Amino acid sequence: MIHSSRRMRQAAVVACFLAPSLLIFVVYRILPLAWNVVLSFEYWSPLRPATWAGWDNYSEMLHDDDVFWTALWNTLIFLGSQPIAIALALGVALLVNSDLKGAGVYRTIVFLSYPLMTVAVAIIWHLMYNEHGGLINYVLRQVGIIQQPIAFLDSFAWALPSTIVANTWQVLGFFMIVLLSGLQNIQPHLYEAARVDGAPAWARFFRITLPMLRPALFLCLVIGILNSFSAFDLIYVMTNGGPGHATELLITYIYKQAFGETRFDYAAALTVAQFAMLLLLTWIAHRAVGGNAGAIE
Amino acid sequence: MTGRARRVLWLRHATLIAISVVMLAPFYWVAKASMTGENIYDYPPHLWPVRSNLFNFVDVWYLIPFPRYLLNSIIVSLIAVAGNLVLNAIAGYALTLPFMGRRSMIVLLLSCTLIPFQATIIPAYLITAHLGLLNSYLGLALPLLSTIVCIFIFKASFDAVPRSLIDAARIDGLGELRILLRVMLPLSTPAIATNVVLSFIWSWNNFLWPLIITRSQDMQTLPLGLARFLSYMEDTTAALYAFVVMVLAPGLLVFLMAQSAFMRGLTTGATKG
Repeated sequence: MIHSSRRMRQAAVVACFLAPSLLIFVVYRILPLAWNVVLSFEYWSPLRPATWAGWDNYSEMLHDDDVFWTALWNTLIFLGSQPIAIALALGVALLVNSDLKGAGVYRTIVFLSYPLMTVAVAIIWHLMYNEHGGLINYVLRQVGIIQQPIAFLDSFAWALPSTIVANTWQVLGFFMIVLLSGLQNIQPHLYEAARVDGAPAWARFFRITLPMLRPALFLCLVIGILNSFSAFDLIYVMTNGGPGHATELLITYIYKQAFGETRFDYAAALTVAQFAMLLLLTWIAHRAVGGNAGAIE
Repeated sequence: MTGRARRVLWLRHATLIAISVVMLAPFYWVAKASMTGENIYDYPPHLWPVRSNLFNFVDVWYLIPFPRYLLNSIIVSLIAVAGNLVLNAIAGYALTLPFMGRRSMIVLLLSCTLIPFQATIIPAYLITAHLGLLNSYLGLALPLLSTIVCIFIFKASFDAVPRSLIDAARIDGLGELRILLRVMLPLSTPAIATNVVLSFIWSWNNFLWPLIITRSQDMQTLPLGLARFLSYMEDTTAALYAFVVMVLAPGLLVFLMAQSAFMRGLTTGATKG
C-alpha cells in the first residue's frame, strides 16, 4: 500500500518534471513538423482562408521553379563539402592526439572559431575576400598566383566555394573535438598488438583507427548534414544567396519565399522536401558508416 | 631520440603551426581592421594597423544603438540560460527515475534532435504570433528554453551519482525535488557549467529566430544589429569591424574561461545524443 502510493507520487513527479521541456519540444519541434506537411498541401497566406491544394505546391517546385533546382544543387555541393571538412579534421585530430608538447594549445586554436557568432564569421570572411583590403587577394597576388584581384563573393564561379571555405573554417574545430574524443576511446593495446604483429602504420589506421571511429564519424556526418540548415546565417550575411542565385541554399530560399514573398504554403513544401532529404542522407550515412554506428545512445 | 623520430616531431609541429596560422589569420585581420586609421579598402593593405587608435570602438556607440542591442542580447540570453538550467535539470532528473514508457521517451527526445530548428521556422513563427509573443523577450527566448543535448548532459551526470547516496536521502524522507537540489545538483557542477556555457552561446549567437520575430529596432539583438550595420553602412567603415570585435569578445571570453566544460559538454552531450 505504502509502496504503491510512493509509486504514484513518483509518477506524478516524473510527469511534472518532464512536462515543461516536453511542451517546448512539442510546440517548437513536433507540431511545426506536422504543420509544415499540412501547409504544404494547401493554398494559404495570412490574409486568406486555407484551401486544399493537393500536390500543386510540389508540382510547381519540381516542374516550374528553376531556383529550387539551383538551390537544391547548391545544397548538395555544400553537403558534399562536409566529408572533406571531416577528413581534414581527422588529419588535425591525429596530429594533436598524443603527448605532443603544446597539443592543448593547438587544439584551442583550431577550436576557437567554432563558438563564434556566425554572423560575425560572415562579416570577417566578407572582409577576408575583399578585392582590395582582403587578406586572401593580397596573399595570392604577392605570391604571384593571380595578377588581377578576384571579387570572390561577386563571382558566379567563386561565391559558393568561398562560403564553403568560411563554413569549413568555423566547423573544423568541432569535428576535430568529436573525432579526438573518439580516438581517445580506442584501447591502446589494440595498437600494441598490431605493432607486435608487424602491421605497418597505414594498416593500423585502416584496420583499427577508422573502424573504431565509426560512432564519432557518424556523429560528424549527422552534424554535417544539419549544417546545410544552419548555414543560413553565413549565407544570408555573406552573399544573401547571390550573385543571382549562385549561393542560394534551400534554407535561404525557404526564408525568402516565406518571409519575403509571404508564400508560407510554398515555403512549407520546400521545407518538407529539405527535411525528407535530411532524413534520407542520415539514413545513407548510417548505412555507409556501418552497422551499429547509429547506436550513439 | 633518434634522428628520424626528431624529424617526424618537427614535421608535426611545422604542420600544426601552419594550420594554426591559417585558423588565426581571420581573427588577426578583423582585429587589425578594427583599430586601423587607414582606409581599409586601399591596395595593398597594410599588414599592421596604421595610425592605430580606438576611435572606431567609440564610433560604434554613436553610429548604432549598441547599448540597446547589448541589453536585448543580455536579457534574452539570461532568460534562456535560466530556463535551460531549471527545465533541463528537472527533465534530466526525471529520466533517471524508473517510470513506464521511459525508453520510448528517450527515443522520442533523441529523434527530436534530428529536427533542425531552421526546418520549423514557418509554423514556429505562426505559433508565436498566435501566442501574441512576436517582438517580445519571451518570444525570443521561448524556443531556446530547453535543449535536448543539455537534458542528456544532466542525465549522464545524475546517473553517475552513487545509488546508495540517493537511497539514504529517500530513507531520510527527502522528496524528489529536495534530492535533486541537495544531492544531485551539488555533485553535478561540471554539468551545470556546461549547461550555462552552451545555452549562453547558443542564445547569444542566435540569428534566424530574432530575424523572423522582431519587428522594431529596439527589440533587435546583437547579431541582427551586426547584419543591419553591414547592409546600411555598405561596409565602408572600420567601425563595423570594431563592432564585430565587441560582439565576439564576450563569447570568446566565456569560452576561454570555461573551455574544458564547453568541449566536454559538446562531445559527451553529442555522443550521448
